[in-house]
Amino acid sequence: MGKEIPSEELMARVAEGDESAFETLVVRHQASVLNLIYRFMGDRTQANDLAQEVFLKVWQAAKSYEPKAKFSAWIYRITFNLCLNERKSSRYKKWRQFLRFNKDHEIQADEDLPASSPSPEDLLLARERSREVSDALQGLPEKQRMALILKRYDNLSYQEIAQILGCSISAVESLLVRAKRTLQEKLKIF
Amino acid sequence: MKCRSFQKKLSACQDSELKPGEQEEISRHLRSCLSCREQYEKLERVWQTLGEMEEIRPDPWFYRQLVGKIKGPREQGGRSAVEWFPQLWRAPVIVSILLVLGILAGTYLGNILVRSDFHPFQPDRTSYSREALFDSLKAFEPAPPGTLAHGYLQMTAYREDESR
Repeated sequence: MGKEIPSEELMARVAEGDESAFETLVVRHQASVLNLIYRFMGDRTQANDLAQEVFLKVWQAAKSYEPKAKFSAWIYRITFNLCLNERKSSRYKKWRQFLRFNKDHEIQADEDLPASSPSPEDLLLARERSREVSDALQGLPEKQRMALILKRYDNLSYQEIAQILGCSISAVESLLVRAKRTLQEKLKIF
Repeated sequence: MKCRSFQKKLSACQDSELKPGEQEEISRHLRSCLSCREQYEKLERVWQTLGEMEEIRPDPWFYRQLVGKIKGPREQGGRSAVEWFPQLWRAPVIVSILLVLGILAGTYLGNILVRSDFHPFQPDRTSYSREALFDSLKAFEPAPPGTLAHGYLQMTAYREDESR
C-alpha cells in the first residue's frame, strides 16, 4: 500500500487543474463535511446541497489556497461559514418549515437497511433517539454547536477548533462547557 | 484545590485538553470525590448520547453532481462579463421598440376604423337650431314642459277654451 498523499499536496495539484486530485480530495473529505453540515443544520437533503457548495468553493479557491493550516481545518472553516450564511438567509427558514413537515417520510425513504437489519422497533427507537439528539443540538447557539460537533464527532483539538471558529482556545473551552451543560438539561441527563 | 475548581476543569479533562499533571490530579480527585465523579459521569453520558445521532453517507453520485456544477456553466455556454454586457441593453431596447410599434399601430388603426366626420362628444351641428335652444331655455320656467305641473296647466287651459 502506497503512502496516502496529503490533502495539502492534492490541493496544489488541483490548483494546476488536476481533476483526479480533486476527485481524491472530494472522496476523502465528503463524508466528514456532509456529516458536519448534517449535524449542524439538522437535515440531510440540505446537507448534501451545502456539501456540494463547500467543494465548489474549494475548487474555486484552489489557486489562492496557501497551506497555513491543516486542509481539514481550512475546509471546516469554509463549511462553518457556509452554514452560518445559510442559516441567516430567509431561504433556510422556508426550507426548514417544508422539511419539518416532510421529515418522517424523508427519513424513511432515504434510509438503507443494513445487511443484518435490526427489528423495525429498534430502528424506530434509534431514529427517534437520533432526532432527539439532533433537536437538542439545534437548540444550542451556533458557535457552541459547531465547537461541540467538531470535538465530539471529529475529535479536533481545542486549537484546531479555535482556528475554525476564529476565536481563542479559552473561548473554545468555555463554549464546550456551556454546550455540555445545556445538553445535559435538554437530553434530561440527571 | 476545592471541588468547584475541579468541576470547572472536568469538561477539558474529558476532552484530554489539560496538561498531563492536571489530568492526573483530577483523575485522583475523581477516585475520592463522589460529587465530582457524578458530575463527570453526567458529562460522559452526554458524550455517549451524542453518539446516538445517526451518521449519513454521501450519495454515490455526489462527485458526478459536483463536476456537473463546476463544468455546467462553461459547457452550457457560460459567458464572461464582456459577453454579458450587450444583454444589459437588450431589455430596454426591446421595450422601446414595442412601445413605438404599439403607438404607430394604434394611430393607424384609429385612422382606418374611426370616420373622420364622427365626433361623438360634439353636438350634431346639422340638427342644431334656434328653436331647440329656446326649448331648452324653458327648463327654467315655473312649469317646464314634460312636468306634471305643465300637464295640469295645459289641461286647465283646454277646459277653459271649451267652456267658452
